Amino acid sequence: METFILKATINGTPLELPVDPSWRLLDVLRQKLGLTGVKEGCGEGECGACTVLLNRKPVNSCLILAPEADGADIVTIEGLAQQGMLHPIQEAFLEAGAVQCGFCTPGMVLAAKALLDNNPNPSDMDVKTAISGNLCRCTGYVKIIEAIHLAAKKISSGGDNI
Amino acid sequence: MKGKYEGRTKFATVGKSYRRLDGIAKVTGKAQFAADMKLPNILYCKILRSTTPHAVLRSIDVSPALAMSEVVAVYTADDIPGENRIGIIVKDEPVLVKDHIRKIGEALAVVVASTEEAAEKALPLIKVDYEEIPAVFSPEEAMAIGAPLIHEESKDNIQSVIKIKRGNVEEAIARSKVVISRRYTTQMIEHAYVEPEAGIAVMEDNCVKIWASTQNPHYDRREVARVLGIGQHQVRVIQATTGGGFGGKLDISVQCFLGLAAYKTGQPVRMVYDREESFMASPKRHPFIIDYTSACDEEGRLLAVKVKIVGDTGAYASYGPATLKRAAVHATGPYEVPNVSIESFCVYTNNPTAGAMRGFGTPQMAFAHESQMDLLAEALGMDKFTIRLRNCFHSGSLTATGQRLSKSVGIRESIVIARNKARELGMLNSHLKNHGVGIGCMWYGIGNTGAPNPAGAFLDFNEDGTAIVLTGCADIGQGSTTALAQIAAEELGIEISNIYILAGDTGISPDAGASSASRQTYISGNAVRLAAQEAKETILKEASNVLGVDRSGLDIKDGYIVQAGEKTSLTLKDLLKRCRLKGQLTLGSGRFNPHTTEMDENGQGVPYATYSFATQVTEVEVDSETGKVKVLRVIAAHDVGKAINPQAVEGQIEGGILMGIGYALMEEVKLSEGKIVNPRLSEYFLPMSLDTPQIYSFIIEKPEKTGPFGAKGVGEPALVPTAASIANAVANALNTRFYDLPITLEKVVLSLPSKGD
Repeated sequence: METFILKATINGTPLELPVDPSWRLLDVLRQKLGLTGVKEGCGEGECGACTVLLNRKPVNSCLILAPEADGADIVTIEGLAQQGMLHPIQEAFLEAGAVQCGFCTPGMVLAAKALLDNNPNPSDMDVKTAISGNLCRCTGYVKIIEAIHLAAKKISSGGDNI
Repeated sequence: MKGKYEGRTKFATVGKSYRRLDGIAKVTGKAQFAADMKLPNILYCKILRSTTPHAVLRSIDVSPALAMSEVVAVYTADDIPGENRIGIIVKDEPVLVKDHIRKIGEALAVVVASTEEAAEKALPLIKVDYEEIPAVFSPEEAMAIGAPLIHEESKDNIQSVIKIKRGNVEEAIARSKVVISRRYTTQMIEHAYVEPEAGIAVMEDNCVKIWASTQNPHYDRREVARVLGIGQHQVRVIQATTGGGFGGKLDISVQCFLGLAAYKTGQPVRMVYDREESFMASPKRHPFIIDYTSACDEEGRLLAVKVKIVGDTGAYASYGPATLKRAAVHATGPYEVPNVSIESFCVYTNNPTAGAMRGFGTPQMAFAHESQMDLLAEALGMDKFTIRLRNCFHSGSLTATGQRLSKSVGIRESIVIARNKARELGMLNSHLKNHGVGIGCMWYGIGNTGAPNPAGAFLDFNEDGTAIVLTGCADIGQGSTTALAQIAAEELGIEISNIYILAGDTGISPDAGASSASRQTYISGNAVRLAAQEAKETILKEASNVLGVDRSGLDIKDGYIVQAGEKTSLTLKDLLKRCRLKGQLTLGSGRFNPHTTEMDENGQGVPYATYSFATQVTEVEVDSETGKVKVLRVIAAHDVGKAINPQAVEGQIEGGILMGIGYALMEEVKLSEGKIVNPRLSEYFLPMSLDTPQIYSFIIEKPEKTGPFGAKGVGEPALVPTAASIANAVANALNTRFYDLPITLEKVVLSLPSKGD
């Protein structure tokens, strides 16, 4: 029963959405808004595939009930590329070979964005910690970590579309 | 990052680290995985699963579920129009149980409803009448006389036995200087791909169309058609973007349920597993019990190896027979052993089904054979690299199955490179407390063991110099689509940006077999190359007519016809136009099947056309308070024949190493009376980013002349030696050896001498 009106800004667009209050933010994004870049991997906050940015912080959207996101500013992977131009983090992931099956990729990219927005020159440990809640079974994390360091360089050397 | 391999290749496209072709879709979140796909008015399917490991199923009453207004249909075994039997090797498994429940988690009924919530609510309303019967949960008990019989059509619970015999093992052992016998045991593990199983299906023009997360769409099609009792031409399976497989998405998961529901209701249907269901329903890595005896002379030369392997394949065979067979073939490790006796048993129990899992029995065997090599070396006071160099295969070596190895044998190089790097990094002379270094060597036969496993491909070379490749090869993240595009581009002499690959759709592309056994670069790569060659042949024959020269010196390069490497006046586009005007289509088809033979009753034969080889050296640090083993650095030297895309090969090595760390130290599917007690990611421990060691990878290229541009495979080899090298490193650190995986914190702490009381 869609008894709750969720007011939130999603990828820059302010929206008012009638939602079922027992829905998770994950369900609102995937099913109500068709933002299927947000993935469900485990439903219990262990894999990070459902990561979105909520008020600039990375959260597991499978653990957030829709009403908890009221008034929030939410960014999903769909909100990164601007006018067809990839964000430097996305570009770095491609250049470094950090994408294999791609299922963890949206969550990883957003976790990286949250890190680099706050810490433009992260150490190796900073990077590993920032993605420590994101499971990847394909890459062994090595090229993802390389990609995030590469993205930091791209951004600090004045990459467009930040 | 282009890294250290650029410039090493003599080819135009092959050997370069192109960005993967599906990268942009994945990095923007646009790639459609099966659970992302939508169809209007779709119905939702859920499965009622058994909660008992062994029972006679008497009846199922679905009427209370059907009474729910949102429930459209409920199907049981009686509703299957065709054959209610599936199985990837042996058809021993029902789609829906008719009368004999053999494990917890078996599918009993399918509910189809208008909402997912309604489908879930309907499940507990279904009344199941069953009578529990005695169950067996250990393969050794299952092999004993009088054990409960799991499959009535068999005389006992031994699904298959493979024997490999060469020479005279007992005589050789009797004259050996050192004989080491140990028992090794390994655990059941979960694939834990981040994307749980999912699919959708719809009827279209009297054809059942299914999109699924899968590693083998053509196999899926065969099974769905048989289960529905319709022609294969009436079933189309399209591989959706698949979020990892590792062998866990080879068996049928959602495909037959979806086919049944779409066929019978006539409406679009959807099925998505949650993580717990994925744990319960998908096949696992076989736990092995390995009794291993190695015998060598005073110089550490192996004289004999005697091995008994018992694999718990659970309630159904799945890939069990192939896993135990491959384990037997690889049991010696990559070493020459003149006298061999191997017995490998695939055994049914009422545990969850074990099937294909990256390495197919070889990670288990590597743990055993590499521990044994270290034990032999220790007994002789010999260097652990030296003993391996003394015994390792080379070109022309005879294997335990009597196969003579070709020139593409890179094991020696891999040991030397790894050793040199370990020396350079100062790994070998560290005397830090609780630090250790261990070696793991491996070999891996490419393709299915001693059985045909072909791939086909079609290629259309368009008038404008672009090309379309149709391949059945499922890219499950490993990058096969990009590798095949590179191979096609290389053969056709065109840019990779002018190639379009259509993959994994049974309605469009020919059968390429499964994406498993590290076989696709080698087998589909050859098929694609042959298809390209055929299309190119039409062009070059015409060019030789026009130029009045012999066909043999001609090729295509940079948009021109070249003769002995030099540009002629003819452009590729000119030729393509000419061919079209003359009514000659520039099409190609290719097919390739590796040259293998069956193994006889002594296991003698040629099970694989080629093998990949590798050495990994691991450095660990053990915390004596907590028992935690930290993997600090890993050196990985892999002979892959030819790296089609070096960055992708590195990605496989790195991913394999992390998976190996999980296998060695963390992962275990815990069972209690056939029930998985930890079917969730909060209780099944997987390597995360903080577990990543420093990895030094080396790609060795000993070209395989039967491979496309010399390529073999790397997907599984990446993982095979890791746990073995970690176990050896832990033994080196603690002077205590573990013979059972995983080497958990508890096991380590319990093994350490207790501190002063």
